[in-house]
Amino acid sequence: MRKIRRHFHGLAFAVGLLAAFGATLSAGADLKSPSLVKTSLQIFAGVYGDMERKLAAKTYERLPHENQEFQDGAAAMRDAIASEPPAFKTQVETQLKKTLAASQHVADTSATRDDAQVHAALDALATSLTDLNGLFPESLRVAPGSVPPPRGPHGPGGPGGAAPK
Amino acid sequence: MTPPCSGTLLQRRAVLRRLGCAVALAVLPKAPAADGRSVELTIATDGDLLAFKPDRLTCPAGARVHLTFKHTGKYVRQEHNWVLTRPGQAQAVEEAALAAGEQNGWLPRADPRVLAATPQCSKGQQVSVDFIAPPPGDYPFLCTNPGHGEVMHGILHVTTE
Repeated sequence: MRKIRRHFHGLAFAVGLLAAFGATLSAGADLKSPSLVKTSLQIFAGVYGDMERKLAAKTYERLPHENQEFQDGAAAMRDAIASEPPAFKTQVETQLKKTLAASQHVADTSATRDDAQVHAALDALATSLTDLNGLFPESLRVAPGSVPPPRGPHGPGGPGGAAPK
Repeated sequence: MTPPCSGTLLQRRAVLRRLGCAVALAVLPKAPAADGRSVELTIATDGDLLAFKPDRLTCPAGARVHLTFKHTGKYVRQEHNWVLTRPGQAQAVEEAALAAGEQNGWLPRADPRVLAATPQCSKGQQVSVDFIAPPPGDYPFLCTNPGHGEVMHGILHVTTE
């Protein structure tokens, strides 16, 4: 009897796990506003990239400003998932809050002007942002720091700026 | 014999004719460089993203350019500008802008490397600048707000007249 009960519990757990996974997958695969989801993830990735550049330039005092932009980007994500099933919305909101807290931590840490500490905070933000991306289909994900094409041969300051004839 | 009210009729016709001309002029699209000397250019942000759309503009050398820059962002409270620089000078201008600081609108004042620049523009707003197109060549433009120029940039391609 105990054996049967144990099997039943195991089976119920597996079914529950599959259902939760299925709900996430179907909600993610059939989003109501996929383009806005993509835009919001692009905003986050873009601001993250900007934070990286500020850190590289050691302009720590600009990081709180970048955090503000990051927090603004959350409105885009909330609009994007507004019409999604409640379970999926909760899942995204939970991860979003973690990501926003990580961004806030970057801003808070910037006051120390300690390169290692700010780097660690930024790494934590990247991890959290990657987890947020993971809730959505692969085609919509935007890796932290992947921003529009960097300064190329035709970009400003590059050789593309041909001299006047 | 002049019919009564003919003066009024003529006046009305004249008014209508003028009105027709005005409407026709308003409806006609502004032809870029129609006279070879004046050009209207429009550029925008790529929504809330750090990019110009389009990132390539063209105009003839010597043209009187009126450029309108629209900030189409909806969510992020960040300002942008549009700054045209001499070839190969964008990075140096970006650095000078950072040194100039927020009090100067992130723009070095009276810098000969800067050929034209709009004021800062907030989301949902638009700003403009007038300038004479430089000699033929490819001129970089960028947003000089800290950290933006590296990714938010483009080229003004100036053609021979």
